[in-house]
Amino acid sequence: MARFEILDPTVEPRKQPLTYVPRPDSLKGKRIGLVENTKFNSDRLLLKIGDILKQEYGASETRMWRKHNSSVPAHDEIIDEARRGVDAVVAGIGD
Amino acid sequence: MPAMTTELASARHAVDDLSQAIELCFEKGWTDGLPVVPPTAPQVHAMLQAAELDPQQQVTFITNRQVAVTAEKVAINAVMAGCKPEYMPVVVAAIEAIGDPKWGYHGPGTSTAGAAVLMIVNGPMAERLGFNSGDNLFGPGWRANATVGRAVRLVMRNVIGSLPGRLDRGTLGHPGKFTYVIAENEADSPWTPLHVERGFDAEQSALTVMAAEAPHQFYNQLSGTAAGIVTTLCDDMRISGNVVGQPHYAVVLAGEHMRTIAADGWTKADIRKFVFEHTQNTVAHLKRTERLAGPVKAEDERALRPLVGTPEDILVVAAGGRAGAFSAYIPGWASRRASEAVTKLIRDRRT
Repeated sequence: MARFEILDPTVEPRKQPLTYVPRPDSLKGKRIGLVENTKFNSDRLLLKIGDILKQEYGASETRMWRKHNSSVPAHDEIIDEARRGVDAVVAGIGD
Repeated sequence: MPAMTTELASARHAVDDLSQAIELCFEKGWTDGLPVVPPTAPQVHAMLQAAELDPQQQVTFITNRQVAVTAEKVAINAVMAGCKPEYMPVVVAAIEAIGDPKWGYHGPGTSTAGAAVLMIVNGPMAERLGFNSGDNLFGPGWRANATVGRAVRLVMRNVIGSLPGRLDRGTLGHPGKFTYVIAENEADSPWTPLHVERGFDAEQSALTVMAAEAPHQFYNQLSGTAAGIVTTLCDDMRISGNVVGQPHYAVVLAGEHMRTIAADGWTKADIRKFVFEHTQNTVAHLKRTERLAGPVKAEDERALRPLVGTPEDILVVAAGGRAGAFSAYIPGWASRRASEAVTKLIRDRRT
């Protein structure tokens, strides 16, 4: 029987390097950004986490942003403001 | 820009015979659970030629996945699904549509709510290519409906990475995830076709995608009036989907219901307006049933919450068998911010 070839229907996802900023050694005095994804209770969950970071880890303040919806990345305005205004970010889902 | 080439870039796998090829596709995880047509180079070339596409042309780019979907990969998956080459322009339109930022691939492609891609074909190509708009509308038996939807799902799986249990996290999913393609019965419909309502000419062919639950059938075999039938539809629809807000609903009106509603002079716009107004729930009911949070206040008894944002968010389609007093509604997925129905031109290569 003659051999024949079939074509691969899959692709490898495009690879791109990701560089993480160094994690802070301590949250003492740090400004924390909270990015909530619009799902029910995600704001409450993140505010609670923010309170813990302030009360137990010494973070100085928290600020929350809301994404356009849960299925998309944080939009440019959030990224720009976070870059300028906070030292670390917590993103989460409450559903 | 590099010169276009007709060479196929995909990796090749050698097998001894057809049955080995079919088994290899299973072993590699390339199928939807059913056997596929093993994709060979001549078949893939025929698919590309039918749509006049070069292999490396990008059909769409899925930002969240950083995946460029090329014509070659669409063609390979269309062969596997069992498409005829002449279906390729329809598959391409569907892939363009689910790659449109308004459809928002990542949400409906991934969500636990288990949406499928409902595809509605309009225009002259629907009939010419043999898309079913009649009997057994959502059922098996028509190659165009069965294979075009299957091709789209295979692209989602094999190219975009929507593997069940991994990046397709549907809790239940539904059978429409195998294929979910209908055509509008424009020949018998008394109404404006969907694609014309959405900005295309009647002579053009177009495909509309909507992130969608399974179809819900409703009955009214007694009523001889538009108000009776559409009120029955509204009673069934009122508690459906996410209840507290959907981006869209599709309402699919089959032969008997279609003729009865039209005989009373109702247009699609009349149907949309009536459905929008008669499917609203009180905030009090939604709170009592714990779909909305908080205590029931006096004003909640009068405050109404619609299923969709506007009447225009309800897509009305004339399709289904001539006999039988049954029609269907289909809830959309999530919210308008997360996914909107998108209509794309099907490029007719014969004109």
